[in-house]
Amino acid sequence: MRVLIVEDEKSLADVIKKGLEEEGYAVDVAYEGEDGLFMAENEPSDLIILDIMLPIVDGMTILRRIRKAGIKTPVLMLTARDTLMDKISGLDSGADDYLTKPFQFEELLARIRALLRRDSEVKTAVIEIGDLAIDMVTHQVKRAGKEIMLSSREYSLLEYMAVNRNRVVSRTSISEHIYDYAFDLDSNVIDVFINRIRNKMDKGYEAKLIHTVRGAGYILKG
Amino acid sequence: MLSSIKARIVTFYLVFLIATLFPLGVFLYFSLSGIVYDSIDSSLLSKAKALATLVIEDNDETEFNSSDEIMSEYNSPNAKSFFQIRRFDGTVIEKSTSLGNLELPFGSGEKRADFKTILLNGAPTRLVNFHVLEDGEQEDKAKAPGIQKKGDGLVVQCAEDIREQTTLLQNYGLVLSLSIFLVMIISALGGFLIARKALAPVKDISETVGKISESNLSERITAGEIAKELRGLAVSFNRTFDRLEKSFERQKQFTADASHEIRTPLSVILSQSEITLRKERTSEEYRNALTSIEGAGRLMSEIVTKLLTVARLSTDRLELTRENTDLSAIIRKAVKLLTPLADQKGVSINMTVGEHPVIYGVRAALLELFVNIVDNAIRYNIPGGEIDISIKKEKSSIVTEIRDTGVGIAEKDLDQVFDRFYRVDKSRSKEIGGVGLGLSICDEIVKLHGGRIGIRSQVGTGTTVCVHLKEDGNVTQI
Repeated sequence: MRVLIVEDEKSLADVIKKGLEEEGYAVDVAYEGEDGLFMAENEPSDLIILDIMLPIVDGMTILRRIRKAGIKTPVLMLTARDTLMDKISGLDSGADDYLTKPFQFEELLARIRALLRRDSEVKTAVIEIGDLAIDMVTHQVKRAGKEIMLSSREYSLLEYMAVNRNRVVSRTSISEHIYDYAFDLDSNVIDVFINRIRNKMDKGYEAKLIHTVRGAGYILKG
Repeated sequence: MLSSIKARIVTFYLVFLIATLFPLGVFLYFSLSGIVYDSIDSSLLSKAKALATLVIEDNDETEFNSSDEIMSEYNSPNAKSFFQIRRFDGTVIEKSTSLGNLELPFGSGEKRADFKTILLNGAPTRLVNFHVLEDGEQEDKAKAPGIQKKGDGLVVQCAEDIREQTTLLQNYGLVLSLSIFLVMIISALGGFLIARKALAPVKDISETVGKISESNLSERITAGEIAKELRGLAVSFNRTFDRLEKSFERQKQFTADASHEIRTPLSVILSQSEITLRKERTSEEYRNALTSIEGAGRLMSEIVTKLLTVARLSTDRLELTRENTDLSAIIRKAVKLLTPLADQKGVSINMTVGEHPVIYGVRAALLELFVNIVDNAIRYNIPGGEIDISIKKEKSSIVTEIRDTGVGIAEKDLDQVFDRFYRVDKSRSKEIGGVGLGLSICDEIVKLHGGRIGIRSQVGTGTTVCVHLKEDGNVTQI
């Protein structure tokens, strides 16, 4: 899952980026409103964390502009303004959630997970596909009750496919959503990761969960 | 009770009424009683004179020549008129049958006709003692006092029962008192109604004022509908509320801004520690996290210190001690404090001082003022730039100009630079430092000294801050 952080306080943006990356998210950061707007419009993100008080172009303006452009990416507003009016105007401008500074990082993570679940078929923190169970909080993956050890990148890929279960996901879309924009795209890498996951997860089981759709990509279904 | 204006108006009104109506009543009563007694007295006197004609004096013999015509008035036992004739020595010569065995008291005899009211057989009776003098002497002796000393002549005493008249006067007095009392009650009631009517707009105003609270400070008294006399009051109330509302608004904005400014570094501290503590780290990672936390902590500390300065300056105005202060010495000290910063940036500072710039002010606050301004002039200057400081006297003010060759401020931002937490370019300010409170602190300090601060700037050329301070440090109310 790929998250865009628009936050002018560099040290705060960097620490959130670090925390999210450790949780397996691909994170892009914009320190200025204009950069944030450009990235929101041009880079595929699964979620945008947006500060309201930004120099030059403020968060509200960015929010209105991206919603006007038809971008439906969930937006979590992160701001030091905590009055009711601030919250109302933020949510009315198209924000999906609102978190006031200072916040608990765990709460931010939980809200991010909730927002990411919103548009998917998955509505709980544990995704179950056949006998496969993926816990999005602990990142624990089990097949038929047996724990499967995945690297953080492998987990990200599996989680992305699980959230988009029963849907074909292309190699490009996978790499766009598990890597930030600084990553040099090479779709072969995705095939390598898929093979590793298959070896750990599907090998030795009757029912295969990851299927290759020729010329299109992969699909995860039970 | 008397703390109410209405009660005071009514009381004052009643006192005023008593003060006018009571003397009027007394005057009316006594003028009528004067008229009544005058008429009784003149009738008594003519009767006495008539009786005197009936007395015939022959040598030492005195005879009373009774006339039926005159006597008929006195001789019935129920008659209301009485007479008695005495010698000067007091011997009664003759008296009317109506007197029975009663006797009319002898007068003092100081005047020829001496009137007095007596009680005769329990009834109020008017009596005249009339001295009958010998012919020829009458006129002279009438003017001379002490007639009785001569021992001659007679005294005709004539009296009349005046029960009816006194009853009439008593009734008149009673009616008069009752009328006055009634008029007072009606007037008091009227006064009360008038006072209530007159005070109704005051009540309206106080109700409106009472309704205004923190939550609806924008409500006002509608001055148009209010009586002319009270319009001034309404207008000043409205002005006070305008000021209150503005100051509340400022306070709210300030609190919101302050909390915003503090929350961001606080978030850095909390997120940084929370994320770092999620798992074991290398000492390098711990060092980086602590450095970031330290930076955020320092920023918070700076913000809190500046906030306290602003709060202190805007609330403790009267507690600050003022003294005669040489402004050039203060500015020299500020420049000296900032010399390391200026040297670091290669900025040179020149100072021109006019005659004796002494003002009556708070020394520490003035130092802070110029440190802030010169600090900005250095921070926003170009490397190797210049700062010119000039101090001169203008009328009763000391005008200090601090001109820099810095980046300048765009016109749209100039109005807001004195607002708390306003930073022209936030991202740039981060590199330069500062929390956006410097100029609002300056503004407070200048206001504290009854002066004004102005700023003009041109982008790319530089900024000039102009501080006008009154020599006597007069504090003007905001």
